[in-house]
Amino acid sequence: MNGRCVRELVRKEFLQLFRDRRNRPLLIVAPLLQLILFGYVVTTDVRETRLAVVDESRTPLSRSLIEAFAASPAFRLQASAADARSLEEDLLQRRVDLGIHIASDFAVRLTARRPAEVQLLFDGSLSHLTSQRAAAAQAVIEDWNRRLLSLGSEPRSPAGGGIEGRIRTWYNPNLESRPYFVPGIVAFLVMLLSLLFTSLAIVREKEAGTMEQLIVTPLRPVEFLLGKTIPFFLVAQGQMVLVIGFARAWFEVPLAGSAVFLFAASGLFLVCTLGVGLWISTVSRTQQQAVLTTFLFLVPFFLLSGFVFPIERMPLLVRAAARLNPLAHFLVIVRGVFLKGVGPTVLWPSCLALAGIGAIVFGAALLKFRKRPG
Amino acid sequence: MAEAVAVRGLSKRFGRFTAVDGIDLTVQEGEIFGFLGPNGAGKSTTIRMLCGILKPSGGCGRVAGLDLFRDAERIKRRIGYLSQQFSLYDDLTPYENLRLFLGIYRVAPSLWAERIEEAVASVGLRPDLHRIVRGLPPGARQRLALACALLHRPRLLFLDEPTSGVDPLARRAFWEFIGGLTRQGISAFVSTHHLEEADRCGRVALMHEGRIVACGPPRRLVAEVLPERPEAGLEDAFAILLRGRAA
Amino acid sequence: MRARCIRAVARKEMIHLLRDPRSLALAFLIPLLLVLLFGYALSLDVEELAAAVVDRDCSPESRDLIRRIDASRAFAVRAELETDTALSRAIDAGRVSVGWVVPAGWGAALRAGRPAPLQVLIDGSDPNTGSQARAFAAALIERLNAERRGGRHAGVPPAVEARIRIWFNENLESRTFIVPGILAVILMIAGALLASTAIAREAESGTLETLRMLPLTAGELTAGKALPYVAVAWIDVLAAAVLAWGVFGIAPRAGIAGFLLASFLYILVAVGTGLLLSALAGSQLVATQLAILATYLPSLLLSDFVFPRQNMPSALQALSALVPATYFIDLLNGFYLRGIPASGLWPSFLVLFGMAVALAAGCVWAVRREGF
Ligand SMILES: Nc1ncnc2c1ncn2[C@@H]1O[C@H](COP(=O)(O)OP(=O)(O)OP(=O)(O)O)[C@@H](O)[C@H]1O
Ligand SMILES: [Mg+2]
Repeated sequence: MNGRCVRELVRKEFLQLFRDRRNRPLLIVAPLLQLILFGYVVTTDVRETRLAVVDESRTPLSRSLIEAFAASPAFRLQASAADARSLEEDLLQRRVDLGIHIASDFAVRLTARRPAEVQLLFDGSLSHLTSQRAAAAQAVIEDWNRRLLSLGSEPRSPAGGGIEGRIRTWYNPNLESRPYFVPGIVAFLVMLLSLLFTSLAIVREKEAGTMEQLIVTPLRPVEFLLGKTIPFFLVAQGQMVLVIGFARAWFEVPLAGSAVFLFAASGLFLVCTLGVGLWISTVSRTQQQAVLTTFLFLVPFFLLSGFVFPIERMPLLVRAAARLNPLAHFLVIVRGVFLKGVGPTVLWPSCLALAGIGAIVFGAALLKFRKRPG
Repeated sequence: MAEAVAVRGLSKRFGRFTAVDGIDLTVQEGEIFGFLGPNGAGKSTTIRMLCGILKPSGGCGRVAGLDLFRDAERIKRRIGYLSQQFSLYDDLTPYENLRLFLGIYRVAPSLWAERIEEAVASVGLRPDLHRIVRGLPPGARQRLALACALLHRPRLLFLDEPTSGVDPLARRAFWEFIGGLTRQGISAFVSTHHLEEADRCGRVALMHEGRIVACGPPRRLVAEVLPERPEAGLEDAFAILLRGRAA
Repeated sequence: MRARCIRAVARKEMIHLLRDPRSLALAFLIPLLLVLLFGYALSLDVEELAAAVVDRDCSPESRDLIRRIDASRAFAVRAELETDTALSRAIDAGRVSVGWVVPAGWGAALRAGRPAPLQVLIDGSDPNTGSQARAFAAALIERLNAERRGGRHAGVPPAVEARIRIWFNENLESRTFIVPGILAVILMIAGALLASTAIAREAESGTLETLRMLPLTAGELTAGKALPYVAVAWIDVLAAAVLAWGVFGIAPRAGIAGFLLASFLYILVAVGTGLLLSALAGSQLVATQLAILATYLPSLLLSDFVFPRQNMPSALQALSALVPATYFIDLLNGFYLRGIPASGLWPSFLVLFGMAVALAAGCVWAVRREGF
């Protein structure tokens, strides 16, 4: 291996990368823009559940229950439906997520100190949100009950004793979405760009014919692959710094753990994504093939990473497959460092997995690339 | 006196199609060897095998004093190759291209300035040295490709149709340049479609459908094929040779 | 517009596709594979969440509690630990997401009718899982208390009882919306990506120069280029829909015709996006990068697929209104979950149709700019 040779290759790659004026926004502006965009979007908080009410009781009591819902940040009173039919129509047309039907005997039963029923009609299409919304609605009603009966302030210790649940939430006590998702977006964006650029890196030389000229030189496969990888590694690490800095400044997502460890781990992660990209590039003949193959990897990488869909809830076989996904391991690290403030002592298995995957894919790319004279 | 190229029974099959069919070739040191033949004859395929771009399906031999099969990588340090299509980076400048290949050929950096200066002066690239290659005329690109192939001072040059698409004056300058190189003992293996260029070669080989049909000094080939017509040229001789094969 | 010219361009483009079996296989296989994989694999519902318990009491009551936790749909007891540190280490490492700590003397307190505190620790880093887990834990405790009170209830009965009914997805299975949604995401990317190299490839290899010399109008070239990709994507849709029905039993509850029409319009939009970028970008690298940036994350995140629109800031809601997947997912939601006939969904149809027309015009304009 010859350092000077690799250095010149890296130099050339940088020249090409930054000479094309269209690449610059892709490298710098696109990740930041996407971070801002998706940082706002990606939230599973129950907020602004659109609510319509049919109040057949029309009493101060029923109105007070409606106000309790309107006052909760989880719900937004959208409209008052005239009757049950139009309530159902609203739900069908996705104008509301929740319909509340208060029967005409609501107040009468309550004043008689008999239980009164309220019907809650949920749109179940986004099931994960529906169960949270149902819980939030239950909480509003319980709260209202307590106020109505002016019970004590301790909710779960009824006078006669019983189990008293002291539920504590760690790491993200207010269960906010952003501290969880924003670090994930950072990881994903960097993967997206590093994978795309490297997967096209070698195919482009094949298509342009420059590969042929390189083959008749004493250039070694390792040198060539390093020359292709180092520039994208540096660019991607730069993006990582940029995007993490931006995430902290803009979204005020706290970084509980060590930044140095995070960058070291992201180096391991990049070795994996760049290795996959290079492998794709060596096995593809045209850019179209390379892009489609990249896509074949990209979508499962994203969806089987635990970014949105938790891995623990996947079937065993898929869970096993997700273990091969570098993004899944890196997300564990990123979230661990950002949210839990843990370091190598806890996260070493993920780091080890990344190192292993990286070694394997890089080795595969190298092997595949060796066999070039056909 | 060593031979720059000496191969026997060299062949290449693509699937069921045989592009090169067991050819024997020798090129002396300091010789210009012309490689002629119609489109699809297998010239480029042969050159690409000799350079180590393609792995031969059969045969044996030595190139630049090294075994074609065992030392393919070391051969690459001793040869220069100019491919049929322009294959340098067209989004870099000539200077950047030269620098890259100096690095790849492991030339010591202390020599870089000198080598670049030499290359630029010998092929006449000076005015275009810092312009993006994409905007250069074909002649200038061709000179750049030649300069790149010579950077590491190879003893053997493979030039695949170096003069196609180049104007007559530039072609003449090119052949004079190659002539100068061979006087320093460098050998050149040149494929071409311009038969009048064959006269500048020490020997030529005519290839057709993967086989060598005739090989030797151009004048002797003509005399052998057309002994009764001393005024005939290579073109007439080749027409007869190829017609004879087809029949 | 001459049909013969369009056919000629389309045939040539089709040959490109067919000659490259790998690209073609990828174009067909990826969508099917993903629908299958994600129908099986993806779920946002909290079920059998990994739980650990620390039982310092070891009374009949505490053992019963642990059994009940394990038996519930929400939790599965994966480990019984000795100490709090072991528990916190397990949560730190992500091995378990919920920890239940039963203090010594808990069972005795319960028997004596005194308040018996029980600690529940929840890993809140994933807010979706965390808040569902919290709700389920509270509900479980509530249920246990209610059972203990039994018929002779010591407390006051709740004044208002919520009777909850769930529509469209009665069992709250996320698969029901994930499978159609994933279809929308994949179609968009596949259509746009396939088409994104179509014009840029010819610009790079110089064959666009040749086409320019032919008596071919911009409209004919665009239509001819689009046709094969539309056909491929169309086969993708049919195959994916059949697969979703055959394997998961997920099928439109109404409006097969409407579903087909919607898919067709959506494919036009996807392929149009790819062609437009291809004509504008000039190089395959830039075209495909733009295609992925413009389709992948927006279709996934901005489209009302998993993350509801009403939670977004208003500027992003406006942006999400520009994402074609938003409307396709609305339509799919109507056909698959609500069983609304096409006539009830005309606004989304109209928008998709408008987008298709606008993109077609945009492509013709961009191709004309290339000198046609
Ligand atoms: N990679 C390949 N796969 C299959 N066939 C090939 C391949 N490369 C070349 N051929 C075929 O081998 C034959 C010889 O090709 P080659 O390029 O060597 O011809 P040539 O003599 O250089 O022609 P030209 O004068 O046009 O350059 C041709 O018929 C060509 O189609
Ligand atoms: Mg040739």
